Amino acid sequence: MHPFTYTRVSSVREALDAGRSGGRYIAGGTTLVDLMRETVETPETLVDISALPLSEITAIAGGGIRIGALVPMAVATADPKLNSLFPVAAQALRGASAQLRNMATIGGNIMQRTRCTYFRDVTADCNKREPGSGCAALGGYNRGHAILGGSDHCVATHASDFAVALTALEATVRLQAPDGKDRSLPFADFLLRPGSTPQREQNIRRGELITAVEIPAYPRPLKSAYLKLRDRQSYSFGLASAAVALHIRGGVIREAKVAAGGVATVPWKLPAVEQALIGERPSDRLWAEAAGHASDGARPLQHNRFKVELLKRTVERQLRTVGEME
Amino acid sequence: MSPQPQAAVGAPLSRVDGRLKVTGQAEYAAEHDLKGVVHAVIVDAAIGRGRITAIDARAAEKHAGVLRVIHHGNAPKLPYRDNAGSNNPQGRRLRVFQDDRVFFHGQPVAVVVAGTLEAAQHGASLVKVRYDADKPSTDITKAEPGEPTPYARGDAEAGLSSSAVRLDLKYELARNHHNPMEPHATVAQWDGNRLTVWDKTQWVMGTHDEIAAVFDLPADAVRVINPFVGGGFGSGLRCWPHTIVAALAARVTRRPVKLVLSRKQMYFGTGFRPAYEYRLRLGSDRRGRLNAAIHDIDHETSSYETFSEAVLGAGQMMYSMPNVRQAYRQVPLDVNTPIWMRGPGFAPASFVIESAMDELATELGIDPIELRRRNEPAEDESTNEQFSTRRLSECYTVGAREFGWDRRNPEPRSTREGNLLIGLGMAAGAYDCGRYPGQARARLDADGTAVVEAATTDMGPGTYTSQTQVAADALGLTMRTVTFRLGDSEYPFTAPHGGSSTMASVGSAVVDACNKVRRQAIKLAVEDRESPLYGVNADDVVVRNGRLYDRNNTARGETYKSLLARHDRSRLEANGSYEGPGSDRSAYFAYSATFAEVSVDADLGLVRVRRMLGVYDAGRIISPKLADSQALGGIVGGIGQALLEHTVTDHRDGRIVNSSLADYLVPVNADVPDLKAIYLDGEDNAGNLLGVKGLGEVVQVGVAAAIGNAVFNATGRRIRQLPITAEALL
Repeated sequence: MHPFTYTRVSSVREALDAGRSGGRYIAGGTTLVDLMRETVETPETLVDISALPLSEITAIAGGGIRIGALVPMAVATADPKLNSLFPVAAQALRGASAQLRNMATIGGNIMQRTRCTYFRDVTADCNKREPGSGCAALGGYNRGHAILGGSDHCVATHASDFAVALTALEATVRLQAPDGKDRSLPFADFLLRPGSTPQREQNIRRGELITAVEIPAYPRPLKSAYLKLRDRQSYSFGLASAAVALHIRGGVIREAKVAAGGVATVPWKLPAVEQALIGERPSDRLWAEAAGHASDGARPLQHNRFKVELLKRTVERQLRTVGEME
Repeated sequence: MSPQPQAAVGAPLSRVDGRLKVTGQAEYAAEHDLKGVVHAVIVDAAIGRGRITAIDARAAEKHAGVLRVIHHGNAPKLPYRDNAGSNNPQGRRLRVFQDDRVFFHGQPVAVVVAGTLEAAQHGASLVKVRYDADKPSTDITKAEPGEPTPYARGDAEAGLSSSAVRLDLKYELARNHHNPMEPHATVAQWDGNRLTVWDKTQWVMGTHDEIAAVFDLPADAVRVINPFVGGGFGSGLRCWPHTIVAALAARVTRRPVKLVLSRKQMYFGTGFRPAYEYRLRLGSDRRGRLNAAIHDIDHETSSYETFSEAVLGAGQMMYSMPNVRQAYRQVPLDVNTPIWMRGPGFAPASFVIESAMDELATELGIDPIELRRRNEPAEDESTNEQFSTRRLSECYTVGAREFGWDRRNPEPRSTREGNLLIGLGMAAGAYDCGRYPGQARARLDADGTAVVEAATTDMGPGTYTSQTQVAADALGLTMRTVTFRLGDSEYPFTAPHGGSSTMASVGSAVVDACNKVRRQAIKLAVEDRESPLYGVNADDVVVRNGRLYDRNNTARGETYKSLLARHDRSRLEANGSYEGPGSDRSAYFAYSATFAEVSVDADLGLVRVRRMLGVYDAGRIISPKLADSQALGGIVGGIGQALLEHTVTDHRDGRIVNSSLADYLVPVNADVPDLKAIYLDGEDNAGNLLGVKGLGEVVQVGVAAAIGNAVFNATGRRIRQLPITAEALL
């Protein structure tokens, strides 16, 4: 671990000042401390924002929800409002182990970095960690890597389950800049695909602070659920996952929100799947047909070819599960 | 000699060291605190093979707190005397910091010693090493094997070609790492030319001998201490380079040094179960009588040592057949040297043989248990020795009944629950349990308590508890009044704590020592006119709860305490020994029948174990509660071997890419829902005083095959690679 200084702030203003001068925000620290131990991250200054008043979960008029950036995952997971409005989001949070949920916060969750083992090994080539050094995963062991959204520079998967649900539900991220200005970003614009700059993972400016995520209101009833596949039943990152939310009225699907995880460099929205569902009546054939689009555009690597088929089957399973829910 | 009442042996007791462990008072190697201790962190080679061309340690040496950076350019030359013992495999062992050669990715190339762990860690990251790198060879499928170790009986080729039914099957087994919870660690302290080492090891004597050889020290100048081990599974069966690094660093800096491997370093700083390529050809008649088997077995070893394990035994003794040929080859690679891991040799071989037996059963339309029964041998056909005991058939009967084997539909894909396909499978297992010479020392004190010592280890099976049980009964004392001590090279010699040998070997030595002490006391009493036992036949005196009495007149007796007090004796002492099996020439194996029920998601390919049962013919069970921990732990290990565990190497540069517990998956609680162990009642007195066979190894043998066979029954898919993952079943 490289030497660093650590300061604790008690107000947003104080945090933003520290952030403006290059401090790195830390709350639960479940990603950052881990990476500092491996010397993947070597921040000079840590700014502990745990004490900031950003840990409220509030209803948004019309049936949306706003989750403060410092709400622990465990609290959000157990929140009755979130569970009743958006089970898919509460379930996605449960993808993490209890220990992580107790420590980690919502803001930290969406800022978490990839599990790519080459990224986490400072002696390996990694464009994300060290731009221009190359990508060891492309020609290396890439079973866990992305079949979607990758580039010649990086194929690391995004590790957050919660972000998959937020992507499906078209959430927004609220940010506050050091100059005091608020802005809201659609979640799809917040996380960046690697392209030729894999070191840039979020659309976030120097010193900006995430204050909350907001899930918008949807027509009701909205049925939703999250499915995560993994090699072992717990304590494991996903091989593939699917977040599905459906609004079915009069026997016809009116709204379909679908995203996939574990397979792409960012949580992967599946608009072709959604479009195939909208206006249709639920049926086994429909689920299969729609899910058939899930891997459109996939570029598999040596060890993750199976994910092309696995993703389609995962999405199909979850469409049927949600579609047939009472 | 009258038999002692067995009050402690056979009782389901909790661990005597349980309180120490759960309250954090059990002191593991890395927790040993010495005044003035400094910290050492190893710098790992970043290439897979080649030479070090330059080491720039200036930045590290300048970092506050760093005392010294030691590498081949400045390390003292070490004698590295030959040492054929200590479980060093044949070859030339790795010599730390003695030259510029790099044999594998992660090899220690330097060590940074600093006043704090943080300074040492940061210092290690500042050491710049330049290399002249060669392309390493780490892929077993692309490298040349060494010379084969052959075995043959009959004419296997002819037998095979004349067989009515022939199978030709190729298996690939992944490399596995032990991954004990406790990291390997060493604390080393020199006092002049004497060295004391607190080291995580399964064999203090082996580590002792290796250190003495490396530094060319007289045997009495080295002491190795290791009272507690947080899991081993074989990883502590030899002395690894980091232990020498710690001792070397302590010598150079003239300070006590603590060195703890990181989890990552455990993947190349200690050994592993090697990856296997195994081709099995099997021939039988239409009724399922085996006629011939040809085993072609390759596994990984390092370029500098030839590791071998007992992979041939199962193919020779498991089933009756006239014709067997085996060729066992090690494939030298640019990796570190493997080491035995739970069920060594038998666990990989049994996956192959027991999976193939299941295929044969399917081919012939015979129930897998019935097929095994038809090939049950009357003797060990490789040696023509009688089995000491072999009750495998009974294991099948009990297992089939308890598991509900009759509910298994032999037709694959015939049982469905929603999206899940359900399957049942079974496999047999055996393990060649060790019986090695060893010693113990027992002392009965005037207060009526006793201390028993042996240089053995408790890596988790509960040696402390089970040896206390054995000693308590032999001495006629309660558990609470007997203390068993282990893990110190100054205690009487014992063999490595592995190979399911400890209870038979150390246990027999403990019984011997305790019997001698008890007999001394009895002799004192019956020859003492003032004793109530005066004149009683010594053979009629038994001891219970510290009281000696005439078994024909139980009112007649006295306590150890009063006896010793009257004789003004502060203690009675004796050394005990066990010489090994001696004249016993029987084939001494433990057996298992393992049953598994799995579900496989028909669309998503995910395998989940639903329940498992192991039935064991392991001789007498000394400590049933701890036996259950052993058996269930072994099944969990087998679930890992079957479905999850796989050390992955990047063959481009030889680096291990999943060297963490987030990336190398072992089973978690959710993966092990319903496990049960049953032990056949009985004893095996072949060459040991306790009637035991070993348990700790056999419990993992056959588990992976039982699961693989259940996966076949569920899905109709035969997977011949371990681990069995989703991609194989999509």
